[in-house]
Amino acid sequence: MTAFLLTLAGAALAVALELLEAMAIVLAVAAERGRRDALIGAAGAVVVLALAGLLVGPVVLARIPLEPLQVVIGMALLLFGLEWLRKGVLRLAGRRAPSSALAEYLDEREALHALAPPPADRPDWPARIVAGKGVLLEGLEVVLIVAALGAGNEGLAPALAGAAVAVAAVLAIGVVVHRPLARLPESHLKYAVGVVLSAFGVFFLAEGSGVEWPAGDAALLYIAAALVAVSQVEVLSLAREAPA
Amino acid sequence: MIAQLRKLILGETWTLPLGVVATLAAGLALDAAGPGWWHRAGGFVLLGGAVATLAVSLHRR
Repeated sequence: MTAFLLTLAGAALAVALELLEAMAIVLAVAAERGRRDALIGAAGAVVVLALAGLLVGPVVLARIPLEPLQVVIGMALLLFGLEWLRKGVLRLAGRRAPSSALAEYLDEREALHALAPPPADRPDWPARIVAGKGVLLEGLEVVLIVAALGAGNEGLAPALAGAAVAVAAVLAIGVVVHRPLARLPESHLKYAVGVVLSAFGVFFLAEGSGVEWPAGDAALLYIAAALVAVSQVEVLSLAREAPA
Repeated sequence: MIAQLRKLILGETWTLPLGVVATLAAGLALDAAGPGWWHRAGGFVLLGGAVATLAVSLHRR
């Protein structure tokens, strides 16, 4: 049950945060260059992501035996998780700008504003490419995280359920942007995702290399607690140092 | 695009992928040296490696 709930929460948070960033880019393109080209670019990326999902899930993951798969998945989750955690610690310590999908939206609008629009009867390829690239890069991380979390003993169900909750939440936020976007504690949420993904990474890596955790799935809780404790010490230590 | 994909998969610093690979390599060496001991306590070695990797990546920017 612990693994199921943590998988669901981790997938929901990670997917929601990635989708928020993708949505910020698509909304910026729509506002600056028109809704049609933004949606065409985003739809193209979604098709590529669906193919990537099919390739990573049923084709690749289903053919690898459990133990080597857990090692590969553990390493992937640890890489993603430690990167989110590293950035999270730096943000909470004031050593990196806070994460903000709203700031990304405003930056993207400014960059698009500087690009000359095409003639009225031509498709706006720069706008389509910006929207498509944004969705593709953020979406690829979603595909990898959901596939990795879904490769555990609990199967794909909690990871997919978490992703579904995230899609519904982000679409709801999309209907009423900007203010809710500005109020989200994104840096803290990303830090939490870093802790969850890293905990799963250590857990799977160990199980795949023949380790039996004391207390079984509940080990995820003390691994996460250890990561929170060490990273909070790092936050305090970095916050005390003079700014870089 | 390639640079962004590399950053997406490996992160912004080489410290993390190198640290994760070193942690796994140390784990495999310890497993070969004492499988029984590794079976019971190897997870904590990997957790220590992950924590050390995080600490190094934060201080080597």
